[in-house]
Amino acid sequence: MTPVLDLQAVEKRFGAVTALSEVDLTIDRGEFFALLGPSGSGKTTMLRVIAGLERPDRGRVLVEGREVTALPPYLRNIGMVFQDFLLFPHKTVGENIVFPLRMQRRSRAEQQEQLAWVSRLVRLQGLEERYPHQLSGGQKQRVALARGLVSRPTLLLLDEPLANLDRELRREMEVEIRRYQRELGIPFVYVTHNQEEALTIADRMAVMYRGRIEQVGDKLDLYMRPETRFVAGFLGHPNRFSARVLEIADGRMLLDWNGVRLRQERRFETRAGETVELFLKSERIRLCRRPDEAAALPNRVPGRLQDAIFKGVFADCFVTLNNGAELVVAATPDAAGIPRESPVTLAWDIADAHAFPVEQEGGGS
Amino acid sequence: MGDGRRTSFFLQALLLAFLYLFLYFPIFYIAFLSFVENTTWPFPPLYTLEWYSRLAIMSDFHEGLFNSLLIGLGTGALAALFATAGAMALLRYPVRRKALVALLYLGPLFVAEVLIGISTLMFNRNVLGLPGNLFSAILSNTTHALAFAFLVVLSQLVRYDWRMDDAAMVFGARPLRCFFEVTLPSIWPAVLGAFLVSFLLAFNNFEISFYNLGAVPTLPTIAWGTLRHGIEPELYALATLVNLAVFVALLLLYLLIRTGLVRIGLPED
Repeated sequence: MTPVLDLQAVEKRFGAVTALSEVDLTIDRGEFFALLGPSGSGKTTMLRVIAGLERPDRGRVLVEGREVTALPPYLRNIGMVFQDFLLFPHKTVGENIVFPLRMQRRSRAEQQEQLAWVSRLVRLQGLEERYPHQLSGGQKQRVALARGLVSRPTLLLLDEPLANLDRELRREMEVEIRRYQRELGIPFVYVTHNQEEALTIADRMAVMYRGRIEQVGDKLDLYMRPETRFVAGFLGHPNRFSARVLEIADGRMLLDWNGVRLRQERRFETRAGETVELFLKSERIRLCRRPDEAAALPNRVPGRLQDAIFKGVFADCFVTLNNGAELVVAATPDAAGIPRESPVTLAWDIADAHAFPVEQEGGGS
Repeated sequence: MGDGRRTSFFLQALLLAFLYLFLYFPIFYIAFLSFVENTTWPFPPLYTLEWYSRLAIMSDFHEGLFNSLLIGLGTGALAALFATAGAMALLRYPVRRKALVALLYLGPLFVAEVLIGISTLMFNRNVLGLPGNLFSAILSNTTHALAFAFLVVLSQLVRYDWRMDDAAMVFGARPLRCFFEVTLPSIWPAVLGAFLVSFLLAFNNFEISFYNLGAVPTLPTIAWGTLRHGIEPELYALATLVNLAVFVALLLLYLLIRTGLVRIGLPED
């Protein structure tokens, strides 16, 4: 089956800046796809290339198997929801929403029919006669979504659509947007720099960094099995530390971390004496009050609890280890009751931390 | 303390009154003169409407007025069009050396109008082979007015969000459709401003029009022509009528803004 969207070795430069470099990506029918990355990683440029607002310097863009690389945006039938909504200020809500249909010269009756349908979908009934400046932020967001969906485009692009909304509204809209996607079956490409949002809303995702796709796949895979150092250090805000390789055997490494021995999976070429960097998500660490609780786990490090902050579902514990390092642990909420300065042991399995070769600053992935 | 404040207020009011007097006294004095018989020393004034009735039957003036209006409208339309296109190109697309490009647009601002008049005449006649006529007068005035029009449009357009056009194009609008549906509804006050400025510049222009038109009369050339055999009071009547038209236009614009029918500048959203 041909994918809805197929990017092949797409490259885009702005002067000396490489915004996209050799990007390959396919998006399938009915998929909710998130593009995640820090600002300046090239994700907005990628959306603009897909929409036809930027012409790539190299590579090809295919929509439903048809090459559209050189096609202007108005011939692509791709919907888009912009970060600042970008509603047309001189048009009413209704006029804004039917704009794509008018441009496609659909009949007046059909315009009204689709307007009624999409207003019901995004719950905007009764606001059709208002002007954008008379709407709240959430209502503007719904109008922007309705305008993006009304012509049932091949693909809907969403560029940080919730960035300008407050937290409560964002939660609500995340659920709403997911609902629209399910009901319509149109593939959504959702750009965000907010990893919680990407993890909540999408099925599959790509992490971008410096104009490249670092890793693409099922969101759980990216979270649990990062393949690059950047993804490992980005998703889940993990603890990060360096250790020296002592021995290598049976696909495992024995590491020395400031005098503490650690056992770790070996997934890349390395030799004894080299330094590796480890990323360890705080929720993968077990916090034990008695050392024997951790006996089953290969990595055990003693330390002292500095502080525990109750967060409801869990508690953030700050532990100073006996080797001088400090780790953050997401423990069960009752950990908030442990007295400060209590001795504790932190433990984790060999696959819980992700190790990568140490890189020189400024190097690529 | 209170006294000091009152004095300062009084001084400020006086200053303001003086300023307005400075700006408007010549205009009102001419208006006053246009209604009196004894124009050299009108105290006490002997009121008359003779100058207006004489003006009404002078066919020169009618032709001049018509020509001036034509030059004004033509120049206004051309300058507004070119200025808008130029400002859009400069702001919307990645242009190298933007400041230099913008500055080059403004060149005619610094050239004396007489020189523009002479040089456009030479160029039109010797290079293009155009005879001096209303059309070449409109083109030459556009050369001059374009710089002003460009400044007017540019100062407004820097606030326009061009991603609005991106949105329109993604939703299927071709460039021309996008301009009329989305861009123009936001920027039209700037375009109108450029038109008005260019219209007035060309309507009132003497040197450029004179060199290009020669014997064909416009209001300023007629005024100048009559000047040679002494100032005739019909001129006062003419000046008063022209000024009146300008004031009425300004008043109308002010009322439109006050009632909210017209918004100068771009909407907040």
